[in-house]
Amino acid sequence: MTFRRNLWLWLLVIIAGWQQHARADGVVVDRVYHPYVLPNEREVEWRFLSRQTDEKNTLSQRIAFGHAISEYITVEAYIVGERDQSDDFGLQSYEIESRIMLTDQGQYDADWGILVELERQHERDNWEFTSGLLFEKEFGRTSLTINALLVYEWGVDLESELENEFRLQYRYRFIPEIQPAIELYTGEDFVGMGPAFMGIHRYEKQKQLKWELAFIAGLNGKGKDHSLRFALEYEF
Amino acid sequence: MLRSSLRKYWYPSLWLVMSTLISPLAKAVPEFYLELRDHLFYPSEITIPANKKVKLIIHNFDTTPEEFDSFELNREKVIFGNSKAYIFVGPLPPGTYHFFGEYNPNTARGAVIVVPQGDAHAD
Repeated sequence: MTFRRNLWLWLLVIIAGWQQHARADGVVVDRVYHPYVLPNEREVEWRFLSRQTDEKNTLSQRIAFGHAISEYITVEAYIVGERDQSDDFGLQSYEIESRIMLTDQGQYDADWGILVELERQHERDNWEFTSGLLFEKEFGRTSLTINALLVYEWGVDLESELENEFRLQYRYRFIPEIQPAIELYTGEDFVGMGPAFMGIHRYEKQKQLKWELAFIAGLNGKGKDHSLRFALEYEF
Repeated sequence: MLRSSLRKYWYPSLWLVMSTLISPLAKAVPEFYLELRDHLFYPSEITIPANKKVKLIIHNFDTTPEEFDSFELNREKVIFGNSKAYIFVGPLPPGTYHFFGEYNPNTARGAVIVVPQGDAHAD
């Protein structure tokens, strides 16, 4: 019991520390990663994110292809498009990402994984390296997923800096097709929270379609700050 | 700055992961056995005790892989051909939890029956 109490205490300390040191300039709302990998899994993914504030409307889309390269490691490559300041939508960056499953599901009190990402802007020598811990724990028919990430940025147009991001998802596994959740995001001077829905539809064998939809409202500013994120993932 | 961030976040985080991993190693987890032959689970129903974590060891005697899948158990695991895999389930309340083989969903089907402790036995 003491161990479990210490564990949750440490988790809270880390989360609080993450929030206090949040900084600067990007979009924090994104997918909440689960720490699981399945061998032989291949996927194509499309993510859509629209963020509306009083000043601007940011639009970002990602297309990705991923492949599990072992029982515990998967690699995914992304092409990222964004709408720029002149309202033109164009290629923004490329990204390579890897998830490593550290523990088998259910083996320990919680399940753990690691996320590593490297992103480079299109035609600009600007880079972003992200690494972090992925955590998931079951509570009956609900699952708590936490991503605690460190982001390092550098490049010709960027001041080198280290940022922290924190993502939380608390999901109720209602039926495979519909699983409601609450999501919380902090980082880069942003704290946001809102409802999310996700689900999975199976076709045959490993072919399945996963979907996620979330509406996140910024909680820490006085003005409007709404993010809508949507993702479709086809596994085969 | 990098060093201070490592001190503040990464070292406690790594400690957290390591202590989570190491602590439960001493606990004995009851083992239950399943076999896959000709894309069928044997036994197709397995009884385990309630409120206790157990380890399902599945031996796939087929030459092709199979994926153990159960939304009710919240588990997915690929079992390669002619090999074994293990899946940790529970602690669970009493009830029936269905599972199937994702590659052969029409034949490879089964259920984990969770009963109050004392009523379960290793198959």
